[in-house]
Amino acid sequence: MKKIKILTITLLIIAVTMIAFWGVYTKEQNRMKNQIKGYETAMDLKGSRTIRLKVNTENKTVIKDAEGKEVEEENLTDEQIVEKGYVKEDIPNNSEEVKNADYYKKSKEVIEKRLAKMEVTNYIIKLDEVTGDIVIELTENDKTDQVIANLYQAGKFEIVDSETKEVLMTNQDIKQAKVMYGSGNGTTKGTSVYLEIEFNQDGRKKLEEISNQYTKIEEPATENTEEIPEETTEETTEENTAETVTEKKITMNIDDSEIMSTSFDTPVRTGKLQLSFGGASTDLETLQGNINQASSIATVLDSENMPVKYDLDTNQYILSDLTGNEIQIAFYAILAIVILAMLVLMIRYKIKGILGVISYIGFISFFLIVVRYTNVVIAMEGIFGMLLILVLNYILVSQLLAKEKKVTVVYKDFFIKMIPIIIMVIAFCFIKWISISSFGMTMLWGIALMLSYNFIITNSLLKIEAGKEK
Amino acid sequence: MKEISKKTKIVALLIVAVIVIGMIITFTIGLNFDLRYQEAKSMELYLQKEFETADMKQITDEMLPNQAVMIQKVEMFEDTVRILAKEITEEQKNNIVNKVNEKYGIELKTETIQISNIPHTRGRDIVKPYLLPFGIATIMILAYIAIRYYRLGMWKILAKTVVLLGIAQLTLLSIMAIARIPIGRVTIPLVLAVYVLSLIGITTYLEKKLKEKREKEEK
Repeated sequence: MKKIKILTITLLIIAVTMIAFWGVYTKEQNRMKNQIKGYETAMDLKGSRTIRLKVNTENKTVIKDAEGKEVEEENLTDEQIVEKGYVKEDIPNNSEEVKNADYYKKSKEVIEKRLAKMEVTNYIIKLDEVTGDIVIELTENDKTDQVIANLYQAGKFEIVDSETKEVLMTNQDIKQAKVMYGSGNGTTKGTSVYLEIEFNQDGRKKLEEISNQYTKIEEPATENTEEIPEETTEETTEENTAETVTEKKITMNIDDSEIMSTSFDTPVRTGKLQLSFGGASTDLETLQGNINQASSIATVLDSENMPVKYDLDTNQYILSDLTGNEIQIAFYAILAIVILAMLVLMIRYKIKGILGVISYIGFISFFLIVVRYTNVVIAMEGIFGMLLILVLNYILVSQLLAKEKKVTVVYKDFFIKMIPIIIMVIAFCFIKWISISSFGMTMLWGIALMLSYNFIITNSLLKIEAGKEK
Repeated sequence: MKEISKKTKIVALLIVAVIVIGMIITFTIGLNFDLRYQEAKSMELYLQKEFETADMKQITDEMLPNQAVMIQKVEMFEDTVRILAKEITEEQKNNIVNKVNEKYGIELKTETIQISNIPHTRGRDIVKPYLLPFGIATIMILAYIAIRYYRLGMWKILAKTVVLLGIAQLTLLSIMAIARIPIGRVTIPLVLAVYVLSLIGITTYLEKKLKEKREKEEK
């Protein structure tokens, strides 16, 4: 009976080991496919999207009046320009003033803010302080293209008077921008996506003034003039002019493209503007599109504008420099150490040592399956986490085999020493930076498995061997 | 006063010496960064077919002797190679292109292949993402240690823990600086491993002390 029990557990471990190392293959469309989930690897093991941003060297054509002021009028023909006494001028997109290390560094900081805002969990950023080139290595996933598109946008935000083009508010007035959701109103069903722009103290005041000034007034301004005494006519005329100005609208521009043009129904005192993106929708694809659009603008607005205009020069997926050969060498080196450690157990504890080895191999196999099915992203730090778990499990198994203390005492002593590490790995699990979370997650699952697996399998094997279980 | 053993004194002196030498090297010569973090030159060759990295390595070893070279496959078809090295001269570039043409039977023109400059990654940019997680974890661990081992003298234990964790990390970095081990892919995993091992060491020591104290009190 004792032999049968040990054999059953051993066969179970062999089966799990085969699944963990070779997989389970079934025929799918005339091809053999492994049904066991693969490892999710991070960019240091898999590869990364590498982009190079170059400082824009192009010129833009502007029209200036006789005083040298930039004219906002659009679609002017050459004849009209001459007629009005304007001149056309080519000016660089990046003036010489901004082409220096300070502005390049500032641009890099803005990019880092945007990466943080977009919750990019792993990247490497490099700046050439002489040329201004910025090279970024990013994790490759479904969002990468959208992330890249948001990185080098200038992000120039302006609220201007629709007619005079006078700039009323800029990026300096923004506190934060975020995406919000709301349910549709009575007539439309579904979810609406909003971009909420929250202004800072100065911006809040400016917004209130603007919304007061640009509020629609239903009463025609001319009706009041008759009742106004003669001596105040001049002042009132000004007021009336202001009232008639209510037809004027503000225009919101991002990177000189018009986002919306509107006037205010009521004064805005909250310091917040909510812009609706698309209508209310129940279609997931439409909603996702609206969310992406709003998120892109929120990211750009929330991270100041880029002081230097950049262009995307290269955008490539570059595989990791770790070759199969190098991984194989590392694998065999680890395997050699594990075999050596197993031999030590067998020599030291004889039969119990063999059971310990069987249990240890089973632990490795279970662990490899657990990290795959718990969606742990394996980075280099995660691999080290796994190796640490193997070392810790070896120590625990050795202590269990030594039987110098009761099993419960061995567990208690071992896990009390592990508490600070458990605290650390739990903290690391909540960190978004992939290298840290990879270490935290592999360690956390490893510790949980170590606790449960040894309690069930190793303990059972040792009990059976000792003859406590018949 | 508790007498310090000769062995402990020697170990302590050795650690101090390693840290001092390591710091001197760090502040004078600087740390040795891996090629992926260094300022480097890169060139890309479109081979129009899949290739073995080992074959390419053979070519670069011959044409770019005595320097670290990184070879990477580019894009999903893996038919382009990116060669990254500390320095690639025009002559070396031409030699590599000629050798590759010969090996793969293609006709790449040297004048169409450019050498790009890859800027370095600042050390602080590498470290920055890890500061907050380590800070949070250390504060939480210190809070636990303060509660569990308060009988051993809370402030003394906390100070010892902080100093030991710091010394362990400084020793690791000093060894890396002295031995010119490149700061690269395995540096953070090593830092984490040393952090975990020093925590185990500290907890084992404190548990032992706590047990002794309890036994003493019981007597």
